[in-house]
Amino acid sequence: MGIDRFAGAMSATAAAEANPPLEELLTALRSEDDVQRTQAWISAGAVGAPAVAPLAGLMLDAQPEVARAAKRALWQVARHSGRPGAEADKAAVIAALLAALAGERSDAVKREVMWMLSEIGGDESVAPLVSLLSNAELREDARMCVERIPGTASLDALKAALDAAPQDFKVNIAESLRKRGVEVPEFPSVKLVPTRSTNVQA
Amino acid sequence: MSNKIRKSQSISRRGFLAAAGVATVLPAIIPSRVLAAEGNPGANERITVAFIGVGGMGNYHLDSMKRFVDSGEVNIAAVCDVDENRLRAALEKAGPGVTPYRDYRYILERDDIDAVVIATPDHWHAVQTVHACQTGKHVYVEKPACCTIEEGTAMMAAARDNKRAVQVGSQGRSEHEAYLAHRYLENGAIGRVHTVTCFHYSGPTDEEPLPDSAPPPELDWDLWLGPMRWRPYNARYCPGTFRWVMESGGGLIRDRGAHVMSCAMYWMNADGTAPVSIEATGTAPTRGLWDHCVDMNVTYTFKNPDWTLTWNQPGEPVPKEERTADEPEITRPGYGAVYHGDNGTFVHWGGDGGTWAERKCREWTPPPGAKEVFKSPGHKEDWFNGIRTGAKTIMNIDASVGVADLCNLGNLSYILGRKLEWDGAKRQVIGDELANRMLGRPQRHPYHL
Repeated sequence: MGIDRFAGAMSATAAAEANPPLEELLTALRSEDDVQRTQAWISAGAVGAPAVAPLAGLMLDAQPEVARAAKRALWQVARHSGRPGAEADKAAVIAALLAALAGERSDAVKREVMWMLSEIGGDESVAPLVSLLSNAELREDARMCVERIPGTASLDALKAALDAAPQDFKVNIAESLRKRGVEVPEFPSVKLVPTRSTNVQA
Repeated sequence: MSNKIRKSQSISRRGFLAAAGVATVLPAIIPSRVLAAEGNPGANERITVAFIGVGGMGNYHLDSMKRFVDSGEVNIAAVCDVDENRLRAALEKAGPGVTPYRDYRYILERDDIDAVVIATPDHWHAVQTVHACQTGKHVYVEKPACCTIEEGTAMMAAARDNKRAVQVGSQGRSEHEAYLAHRYLENGAIGRVHTVTCFHYSGPTDEEPLPDSAPPPELDWDLWLGPMRWRPYNARYCPGTFRWVMESGGGLIRDRGAHVMSCAMYWMNADGTAPVSIEATGTAPTRGLWDHCVDMNVTYTFKNPDWTLTWNQPGEPVPKEERTADEPEITRPGYGAVYHGDNGTFVHWGGDGGTWAERKCREWTPPPGAKEVFKSPGHKEDWFNGIRTGAKTIMNIDASVGVADLCNLGNLSYILGRKLEWDGAKRQVIGDELANRMLGRPQRHPYHL
């Protein structure tokens, strides 16, 4: 069974004008009805920044399908705000995502928020993401997300991170810098070096 | 394309290994490139092949390669898979003298291996193809070529810079009835074609989603994920079902679109061109981790020449034609395309290893002076020819990236819920910062381009 996502996007546009109540969205996302839940996350984009914190919370719901719908709704919010000509919406969503990232959230939620920021974030997102380079669980995601954000702030942050990173993570940072066009001779790439042996015998 | 190996343009494996302090073991098989002039297998020398990914299509390729082993054209040197059970089965099938690996990079460091067949999940295609080209291997890689626009750009550059023959597994182009269709359309049998309407049945849904769990002991989950960002194992990711995950397989538009639209681009002489706009709608699954389109409609608008390509899932399927007992049976009538010309229509079914052309095309006799089109000797044979002579393969990397671009841009339009205006020369979306940022995706270390 599928739900017409484009119709959802269309209704989301209309809903933006109507300023749909956040509570209605959250109630629908908690529904036991697959269709209602799906319609809800598809239409979530227009709810915008006010939905970010509650959706991040709902991503930890004990019901897997509710948590999944909340995650998809939050992605809709992030991507809807990134549409052309919606700078104010985007700034508000970014601010809400950064607040969520700073709060007491699970690594799973933080990871999703980080990747949302990698798509829509700018200079304001760099420092919060860089701070997670010291988190053993999240540092690789943080590296990739900083790498993706264009501009000199992220590039300078990666250069600084190369110095600050523990020895075992410097090569990761070096690859991000290469991706951004920087030569890093002191940490050669190991991408072609095999590391995983099989137990299957010839 | 020259068939000369220019080592200076390839990353030195030994340089990498020396830098990393890794020891190498010299293989026992005499490399054909040692024997061949200018570094590639000669016409009468065996091509030494390794298989990366040996489940699903990889298993099929291993089977189909055996006849080339028997005919003296190919050696099989190695098999590789991140699933030990699949690897063990493939090793048994491949026979004696074949080395098993979990990590494909062991294959890339072997100088005795000329070429690799890559049939891993889609999110690995680009990284492994680029690495293989950079280490001097020719590549047969399953379709779709890539998951992002950025990956496609890297694949084209790697093949070009290292002068490697890359064949992508949209093998429909090499089918006999595809040749007939190409010749029929090329000679204007239905006039100027202005619209190609693809049809395909709906995608699957997961009626019994499963929770995340520990991966099975035979599976190296980290290596399966490879370039994708880390997430816990879920049995709905694999094997095979990666196709229904947008980040990996991208749904039916990439799985079968890479076949049906490959035929369209080839027969319309549109390789090397790109649409100017892409507009997609679709339906999302209502439960489970799969996030592909269950149903989907995409419209691609081409200019100069002007024509329209549409992907319709399910669209309006065309009932298969009746065939006599001595004609190849149409076994996959659920997908194909209708070509609309100024003077009529033409239908084909399938588009992959089974491609069936409408009777009037098969019975069409070229008039005197008709244009001839390339007739593939077979998809693998065409690849071998590319390896030996440097000839452009029928589904070369540039053509296949063009097809993958259609699939990836269709999905991107669906995800964003808006029409995309595309600059094919710059490989950028016009006026859409978010869409452009989504043309690439950072990859996990060390499984990156």
